[in-house]
Amino acid sequence: MAEQEYWRWTEYRHHDESIDPRAGAIVAAGIDVGSVSSQAVVTVDDRLYAFSSMRTGSNSPDSATNALNWALEGTGLTPGDLACVVGTGYGRVNIPFADKAITEIACHARGANFMYGPSVRTLLDMGGQDCKIIHCDEQGKVRAFLMNDKCAAGTGRGMEVFADLLAVPIEQVGALSFEVEEEPDPVSSTCVVFAKSEATGLLRRGWPKSKVLAAYCAAMAHRVVTLIERLGIEKEFAITGGIAKNAGVVKRLQRELGVEPLTTTYDAQIAGALGGALFATALVRKGKGRKA
Amino acid sequence: MTERFAEWYKTRHDYARAWKERTGGKVVGYFCTYVPEEILIAAGVLPVRILGSHEPQSVTEPHIFGMFCPFCRDCLAQGLKGRYDYLDGIMIAQSCLHIRQAFTSWVQHVPVGWSYYLPFPNHVQSRAARPYLVEELRLFKEAVGAWVGRPITDADLDRGIATCNEFRSALRELYESRKAEHPPLNGVEAMLAVVSGQFVDKTEHTTALRQLLDALDGRERRDPKIRLMLVGSEDDDVEFIRMVEACGATVVTDDHCTGTRYFWNNVEPGEDRLGAIADRYLTRPPCPSKDWPTRSRVPHILDLADRWGVQGVVVLQQKFCDPHEADTPAIIAALREKGIPSLFLELDVTVPVGQFKTRTDAFLEMITADDLF
Repeated sequence: MAEQEYWRWTEYRHHDESIDPRAGAIVAAGIDVGSVSSQAVVTVDDRLYAFSSMRTGSNSPDSATNALNWALEGTGLTPGDLACVVGTGYGRVNIPFADKAITEIACHARGANFMYGPSVRTLLDMGGQDCKIIHCDEQGKVRAFLMNDKCAAGTGRGMEVFADLLAVPIEQVGALSFEVEEEPDPVSSTCVVFAKSEATGLLRRGWPKSKVLAAYCAAMAHRVVTLIERLGIEKEFAITGGIAKNAGVVKRLQRELGVEPLTTTYDAQIAGALGGALFATALVRKGKGRKA
Repeated sequence: MTERFAEWYKTRHDYARAWKERTGGKVVGYFCTYVPEEILIAAGVLPVRILGSHEPQSVTEPHIFGMFCPFCRDCLAQGLKGRYDYLDGIMIAQSCLHIRQAFTSWVQHVPVGWSYYLPFPNHVQSRAARPYLVEELRLFKEAVGAWVGRPITDADLDRGIATCNEFRSALRELYESRKAEHPPLNGVEAMLAVVSGQFVDKTEHTTALRQLLDALDGRERRDPKIRLMLVGSEDDDVEFIRMVEACGATVVTDDHCTGTRYFWNNVEPGEDRLGAIADRYLTRPPCPSKDWPTRSRVPHILDLADRWGVQGVVVLQQKFCDPHEADTPAIIAALREKGIPSLFLELDVTVPVGQFKTRTDAFLEMITADDLF
């Protein structure tokens, strides 16, 4: 058997059988090609109809095509049925069939507004290789934002490296990090390279995996808190992106901030693509879509 | 019409060498826009501002702390690499410790015939600043005269003052033209017109500016889309400004030292020539290292933003620049109060254009958000 890849999270797709896309007026899509994962979301008149979430491949156009095709699988729709496609994420400018590119900052704010409702004022997007803090209004319009600088420390990719190092499936990292008698001090650096060598040292000293994970999750939460504090936090607070699914980081973040994030039944990782699809719909209404 | 400024910017060292050969005059490298160029020009010297080259380098490590600003390291690197080997002299007027370290290190490690440290008061708002500076300017004038072998006369000073004033007035006119609903030039062109003036012979440069001004009416006007202002430190980062403008915006004005801070006000000519020069430098739009205890930059920036119809401000600063770091929160808050959004970015020797592009795109989307809702 090939060696297990612990970082590998579940790729999946879904569509809502209760919606008939042929009955809708505007079928639109948003595609978020991120540095680590790609999502495609198809909406029917502002309702979430179908989506897919998968790992980003080596080139943006292919990743975008694969994500969209997978989201459309079994729906009877083809890309030609889409009235407008918005591309977002770091690969946004490299999606040949997108009608417009909009930044992930605007798209996440719009998507979070849909997922968490209009009360969201502060949004934290923890992505694969960066992290953004966004202030938005009741419509999901961006009011201010801040991004981390130049480095993937304390982001999704760093968590994947840790899952691999400790041989813990990534989806179990959060739960396992709480199996400690006492919360350890955070690792001193969130730099993936330094933290990895620090963790190796801790393991050699006899720390259980759970304690090492607790120390790393705490460091990641702390790094994000310093970013949030630069912009300030206004309630309500919500988190999007892959790390939103990692309770080990989210709960520690909540503890340090003293603010409870909103919860949602949607997958917070698709917020960017969903925001893109909603913008695509708005563009069609304004007569700026593909079929305009 | 603006190509000449871009060409000068690119070939600045060739220009200085050719100038030297043509005139037989001396060239002085200077480190900060507080250096009174009038006095150097009065002595027939070509002042050339030392600027970086925006390339990664490894030669300054032993000489400048890692947490000093990238600009001062980039400047010193040019000296250590011998790019300014044509200089006859090197000088600075006191502004901040970082750039002064670049100067002192240069004097120590790059052989130059003449060097001068002009102690310029940082507390320009003090009553003692003027008499202090006037006396320092007198000593400086004498030192320059002794160096070139000919005392600087009042007539020389008048010529130096007039040359600089004509140059600055032409730049003011150029900036005036950018108030138009459809400005006749973009931010990159404007910045190159200013920054090339920091190392090209002023008379020659003014002639080029006048030719451009005369030709403005015939130029194709551009739809500025979103009108931006740049606020910050030393910002001759052409690639960055080009990227910002390519995202769907036009820089219409600025407050930084490769922009308005360098040329904004003229010397008011008078009998007391050194006093007049001192007044000009003490009351110019200040560098944040000299803007205390009253923070005069804030109302000045708001005034520029208002008169040039600015919709958004990009606040740029050299990483680790403490004076700018202290000013930035106050500037951003004052702009917010006026309903002007801002984007804060830190510059390094090279800029991460991809990351900055995402932020710039998001910033411009924020200004035009209504189009998406």
